[in-house]
Amino acid sequence: MTQHQIGTQEEWQAARDELLAEEKELTRTGDELARRRRELPWVAVETDYSFETADGTKSLAELFDGHSQLLVYHFMFGPDYTAGCPVCSSIADNLNPNAVHLAARNTKLMVVSRAPLEKLEGYRERMGWSFDWASTVGSEFNRELGFLHTEEELKPFLEGEIPPAVELNADACGVDVATYVADGPGLSAYILSDGTVYRTYVTTARGVEPAMGYYALLDRTPMGRNEEREEVFWIRRHDEYEHTT
Amino acid sequence: MAEHKTGTREEWQAAREELATLEAEHAELTKRVTEQRRELPWVPVEKEYEFDTEDGKKTLAELFDGRSQLLAYNIMFGPDYELGACPGCSNLGDQFDGTRVHLNHRDVTLVCFSRAPIDRLAAYKERMGWQFPYVSTYGTDFPFDFGLAVTPEQAQEIPELTQMLANPPEWLEDWGRQVGAKLEDGLRENPSFIAFARENGTVYHTYTVSAPDPFVAPYYFFLLERTPKPGDEDPRAWRKDEYPD
Repeated sequence: MTQHQIGTQEEWQAARDELLAEEKELTRTGDELARRRRELPWVAVETDYSFETADGTKSLAELFDGHSQLLVYHFMFGPDYTAGCPVCSSIADNLNPNAVHLAARNTKLMVVSRAPLEKLEGYRERMGWSFDWASTVGSEFNRELGFLHTEEELKPFLEGEIPPAVELNADACGVDVATYVADGPGLSAYILSDGTVYRTYVTTARGVEPAMGYYALLDRTPMGRNEEREEVFWIRRHDEYEHTT
Repeated sequence: MAEHKTGTREEWQAAREELATLEAEHAELTKRVTEQRRELPWVPVEKEYEFDTEDGKKTLAELFDGRSQLLAYNIMFGPDYELGACPGCSNLGDQFDGTRVHLNHRDVTLVCFSRAPIDRLAAYKERMGWQFPYVSTYGTDFPFDFGLAVTPEQAQEIPELTQMLANPPEWLEDWGRQVGAKLEDGLRENPSFIAFARENGTVYHTYTVSAPDPFVAPYYFFLLERTPKPGDEDPRAWRKDEYPD
């Protein structure tokens, strides 16, 4: 017998109808949120950032690649990392097949990291991704968005108890915890309007969670994420799961 | 001049913080609904189904492939579709291979169902370059028992459907041409996710969610929602190898 409550089709349907009302409310607040997000003022980007790409050095405006919108995923891959962050890698697994669909909707998807281009390209090949990945020249781009932290800023975190997941991920990137957490994940959005680039949206931490497509899917399964009873964090690079099935 | 309200970084930051509160509330609500979703009673599946797969006939229990949870997406691809699956559903399908390995390591098998015969699914899967198991429900009661398709008689009892068929919008007529089916046949498929659990030899149906729930949408929708201009409301979609230039 299962530990879970069993029901008849009718009981399920009644509970499902109740849940549907909640799901509809969630849709409504989600729509409202999307509307509010688009009301944010646009901020002209005045710094001249540059990026190393497979096609040479490019400005932020040039990253749009002829599209009017640019979405940047800030992938944790610091210059000292020997490989990209496993969690960012799991996000990239989700981003990769969507670049073509975004491009068709006038939106360029770029992945950006601080590691040198050569490292990024080697890792991209290992993971089998095809999106464009640029290396920031200098540290300002990530720093100004809050995705690069100084030792000073990290001090309280590093002096506290380090979560096992962070240790595990730092280790997987071949760096110590301080070096690993100096870089942070994030998503930022831009629009090119009359030759000016405007930043319109930035998010990090929990705001990046929807990018982890597998979580949304797990949330519809009978057991869910089932992370409460896990001692150790489960996400791995797709080629590093122990029992690859 | 930009076609939208612009602001300083400080103005953006203030508006962003207000939005962050709403985003956090929405995330909390999402979590509560997810918990409620997992409290749905499980309904034992008592009927025997046998599906055509690329590896021969399989029962519902066998589709779990040894895992305890099965999550399936029902792609609109009915037996009457001459040209292939629904383009929007195909965009959704593009997402699964990148995320599937992660789900597999959470004890979840991810497959897709469609009602067209297996040889047509296999050919379409090859065209799209998909790897996930694609299962045909052709000739079974399964899609009708679980609300994944309706019979012509049932279709006549659904007012939303009969109204749409009486006066189809242009995008829907185009959709009919894209899949190569008459709308009265094409619209009998229901794009849905359906979840099952397997415990001690019994399979339980746990959850179904269908369009227009925003969960039944391609992953790039969530990314576009974070761009300043998400595009028009036109629900038109193209298969990834058929985008107009």
